[in-house]
Amino acid sequence: MLSGSRTVDPVTQEIIEGKLMATVDEMGLVMARTSMSPVIYEILDFACGLLTADGELVAQMNGITLFTGTFGFQVRALIDRFGPRLVDGDILLSNDPYAGGTHSCDFAIVKPLFVDNKIVAYAINVAHYLDVGGSVPGSLAPNATSIFQEGLRLAGVRVVRAGEFDSDILHIVAENVRMPEIAIGDLNAQIATVRVADRRVAELAAKYGAETVLAAFANLLEGSEKQARAAIAALPDGRYEATDVIDGDGVNDDPIAIKVAITIDGDQLVADFTGCPPAVAGPINCARGALQSAVKTIVKALVGPQAPSNEGWFRPLTVICPPGTIFTAEKPSPTGWYYEGSVHASELMWKALAPLKPERFSAGSYSSLCVVYIAGKDAHGEPFIHIEPQHGGWGATPTQDGAGAIIALTDGDTYNYSIEVIEARFPLRVRRYGFNVEGGVGAGRRRGGYGVVREYEILGRETTAYGSFGRTRVAPWGMDGGADGSVNMLEIERHQGDTERHGRVAHLDLDSGDVVRIISGGGGGWGDPALREPERVADDIRNGFLTTEDARKLYGKTGGVA
Amino acid sequence: MIRLATDVGGTFTDLVGYDERNGELFTAKSLTTVHDQSEGVLNAIASSEKADGLIPRDVTFFAHGGTTVINAITERKGVRTALITTAGFRDVLEIGRGNRPDLYNLQFHSPEPFVPRRLRFEVRERMNAAGEIVTPLHERDIAPIIEACKVEKIEAVAILFLHAYANPAHEERCARLIAEALPEVTVCASHEVSRQWREYERSNTVVLNAYVQPIIRRYFERLEAALTRRDLTCPYYAMQSNGGISTFDQATASPLTLVESGPAGGVAGAARIGQALGEQEVLHLDVGGTTAKCSLIHDGRPTLNVEYKLEHSRIAPGYPVQVPVVDIVEIGSGGGSIAWIDERGALRVGPQSAGSTPGPACYGRGGTEPTITDALLTLGIFDPKSFAGGSMQLDKEKAAAAIRTVGDRLDMTVEDAALAIVEIAHASMINALKLVTVQRGHDPRDAVFVISGGAGPALAARLGRELSVKATIVPPHSGIFSAWGMLAAEPRADFRATWFSALSESALLEVLRRFAILERQAIAYFGKGDEAPIRPTYRLEARYRGQEHGVVADFEAADTIESFSERFHAAHEKAYTFRLPSAAIEITTLHLEAVLDGPVITLPALSRDGRSIATAVKGSRTVYFGAETGWRDCPVYERDLLPLEQEIAGPALVEEPTTTSLIQIGQTLRVTSEGIMVLRDATSGQEAR
Repeated sequence: MLSGSRTVDPVTQEIIEGKLMATVDEMGLVMARTSMSPVIYEILDFACGLLTADGELVAQMNGITLFTGTFGFQVRALIDRFGPRLVDGDILLSNDPYAGGTHSCDFAIVKPLFVDNKIVAYAINVAHYLDVGGSVPGSLAPNATSIFQEGLRLAGVRVVRAGEFDSDILHIVAENVRMPEIAIGDLNAQIATVRVADRRVAELAAKYGAETVLAAFANLLEGSEKQARAAIAALPDGRYEATDVIDGDGVNDDPIAIKVAITIDGDQLVADFTGCPPAVAGPINCARGALQSAVKTIVKALVGPQAPSNEGWFRPLTVICPPGTIFTAEKPSPTGWYYEGSVHASELMWKALAPLKPERFSAGSYSSLCVVYIAGKDAHGEPFIHIEPQHGGWGATPTQDGAGAIIALTDGDTYNYSIEVIEARFPLRVRRYGFNVEGGVGAGRRRGGYGVVREYEILGRETTAYGSFGRTRVAPWGMDGGADGSVNMLEIERHQGDTERHGRVAHLDLDSGDVVRIISGGGGGWGDPALREPERVADDIRNGFLTTEDARKLYGKTGGVA
Repeated sequence: MIRLATDVGGTFTDLVGYDERNGELFTAKSLTTVHDQSEGVLNAIASSEKADGLIPRDVTFFAHGGTTVINAITERKGVRTALITTAGFRDVLEIGRGNRPDLYNLQFHSPEPFVPRRLRFEVRERMNAAGEIVTPLHERDIAPIIEACKVEKIEAVAILFLHAYANPAHEERCARLIAEALPEVTVCASHEVSRQWREYERSNTVVLNAYVQPIIRRYFERLEAALTRRDLTCPYYAMQSNGGISTFDQATASPLTLVESGPAGGVAGAARIGQALGEQEVLHLDVGGTTAKCSLIHDGRPTLNVEYKLEHSRIAPGYPVQVPVVDIVEIGSGGGSIAWIDERGALRVGPQSAGSTPGPACYGRGGTEPTITDALLTLGIFDPKSFAGGSMQLDKEKAAAAIRTVGDRLDMTVEDAALAIVEIAHASMINALKLVTVQRGHDPRDAVFVISGGAGPALAARLGRELSVKATIVPPHSGIFSAWGMLAAEPRADFRATWFSALSESALLEVLRRFAILERQAIAYFGKGDEAPIRPTYRLEARYRGQEHGVVADFEAADTIESFSERFHAAHEKAYTFRLPSAAIEITTLHLEAVLDGPVITLPALSRDGRSIATAVKGSRTVYFGAETGWRDCPVYERDLLPLEQEIAGPALVEEPTTTSLIQIGQTLRVTSEGIMVLRDATSGQEAR
């Protein structure tokens, strides 16, 4: 029988689990197809899930990793706030980073799902809004020093009351964001998805009975917990540490030293971030919900990468971090670029655990999403905001060269933006999109993957840009004798001819003819470069990834290519 | 006089012939010949000549579906292909979209491109999104590429320039220069295969098209020569993925349109069955040996998937291609799918399959793992003696022993474990069937449910009941339904063109003008002259301003802003549950579906002679219906002898050479005068959704 103690026959259990996955997938499909902002439909910066009445995640769509562990925290915060006052048909809205959220741009829509006047589950949809007001278009000033510069805050409100939209809330949203049509469109799309979930869960309850569905939730969580405990128990007990450096916070350029100590004891795993610095002035801080998510991402990679995610996998995990640090920021610390901080919490875990289970890990990657915001007016004088994360190089594994040009750990099923679509929509021309061969990758028996170079020529007027790039000084790490990768950077080539280089930059005025060049780094290598097979070196030369000169320098051979 | 279809599958090549003179249908099977599929086709024809007296000279229509294209792609056996692209963008093909759907796999890699970096060449040129020249074509960049292609012994060249969907002039010029310099080489420019935007998807499309084009050309040449030698010299048609057929020449120009030709035959057949029953909404499920495929026919027409991807899965990005492919959802549950216990102790079915070797345990060929076929045998639904027309004796003991390997671990009796395996397969089929209906805004209660494939009819009645469909249909020849469906397909071409504009009076005029151009292309494509009986359907993909993905709504020549807007709002609401009446509407893509009227297979009225319940009964079998009902005695009927237009109460089993149907308790069966089996529940089409 199933490992759970509740009595659901295994066939019904399997059928209910299949239906839960089908439901969150359906929510995701509706969201991606109807959203009005490219951040959602192209980049898929959103996620949908189902949780128990206690706020434990039971099913989540395949979207991005940033939301791996935030849902439970968020829903529990809303349960605390509204508790027994919730009635059937209510839908809640929250964008509070300190209550399990991430940054103000992420709007969480939560619907309690009632069966026979009792809450049996919650449906959630969290999506990144193109603009929520604040000091700059897109709301994420890289040099913000307080949450109050990062846009509208709605820390837990009822946007729908017993099935009726609260027009006051809609009015507040519409009046406080730069692109109200898009915001209200996306709000409609989000609400449609949680209503879909409501119908599907009601169907399940009607068919199998609410008691059976609840028992199936419990079984599902216990089953995953058991698998996670078995995977952790198979690792050697011990204490594993890692340190790293974050390249500035957007206000100060100083290096920020961070560390983790992981203890594996039997079937439990404790990640202790004690000793990390206090929250910094700039907006790369994350709050505790985002830290949980960052840690859980790597735990999931360790214990069961392909299985559907739910809270059960994380029951053996304890995260320790005192309040008020860079990873546990509190009000009013800014968190706009939280993923630039939280990814480092993930990478600490990754770096510490990689030697324990090399078959699940790779060497260091370019990590930073290298997001640039370009805003201005199009040919008709209409305002536009173009937001785009960049893909980059990942580290080598013990058996394979690193992956080139894939999205950073914090995202997931995230597409790059079609050049033809961009040029039809915005006054921008892409001059180059290709591998960052010049920057190179970490050499090794297996080498890192290549980053990208993407060049935008500005065609319009009144254009501005800002961005926040990490790993601009400290390159992705190599493993087991492999060399470090290469760094990310933002270059502006002025039409007059001079070129500037940036990392985290709060404001750039751009002229027609200026070029924004986004460069993402290459991943770290794995193993001694001297051991690289000659035919692999020759292949890289023939494919234009390596010059013969560099091949001799890095590998001491050219594989027979002159 | 005789219409012939051949469908090449993984194991068998099926042949269906239809004699228009007397309405007689004949079938044949041969083993698929992997090295050259045309041999198996000729073998099937030869066996029809022997068994049914087929005279190839009498064949007036020949339709063919095969797997040559998809095999060349999945086995990476296409030709040596190069890509020429706009300067600055040769890595687009390798970068792809850069997504990592396998979220927690820190060793994830994007799929390998079909052209390696050293064979991707750049030419200086540039169009903008409006199709205006920004940088003229630098023809002198092409000479060194021609030299490199010679050195590298390139057999096919694909060309993709940015925004060629808006203005193909540079692609056309480049293609001409390459073709003149390299006359032996296949040259494909992206605008010839797709006029849609998105450079990665279009590059992949043109690259794969070039990669397989020489292969399919040689294949059709061999097949044509062989057919001609046999004196079978009628027009030859290939089954396309869009549910229509095309001539061999048309298919050779655009071979990627053949990627899903087998399943598309079944969809065409399901549409034909719907037509015979007067039904516009048809849900189709085909249960094969390793997978089940479902699709929806809406308004009498197969639905197309506009984002088709090869080798795509939940965790693999796959290879997107911009060709019209019937919207098919495929799941890993077929007759040979293996039941197993996962690490948590839960019962699972598929996607591993026992295939045809060793096959299900009951085949007695060494298989020991339990499959859906073993479960159906154990439940009494399949007869060990009459399976596959009696050509293969099934072993009940071996099936039971295999089922016991999972049953014991679940603490279940053999029959309960067998039923559990069937239930799990049911549930995943239901999820897939809901994906193509409910989740896309269609109500299964409005549809008839046509089920085909070897194991399909054994599962049909329960699935239909759970979906509350209007009726569950077992068509004639359900075991070779894809080949039968090819005889029901008409010549069809789809023209899709990206054209971006806000909805306005002038835009509607421009839409009309552009559809007129597309229609002229359709007339030229069919090569039949202006009077050709072409049935066009106009559709527009449109969206609310700001959205990316649109919904497709029909467009009519007389449309005003109001009438089109209303149709668009309704389509949006149907698909996504809401409408935004005050938001602006944008048009993104024109889609012309052009069907050339042609004779399709008729379903002649069957003779009532010799048909009755008494003659049809060939015995009885006990079937297990679950712990509550237990084992029940069911009469076993011979399908071909069942009386027409008469209600027969379930439970019952109906056998025919290629399959067995189970009619559930409480259901009734009626065989129409054309031989279609219609199963209904007392509550069909009524239950709450």
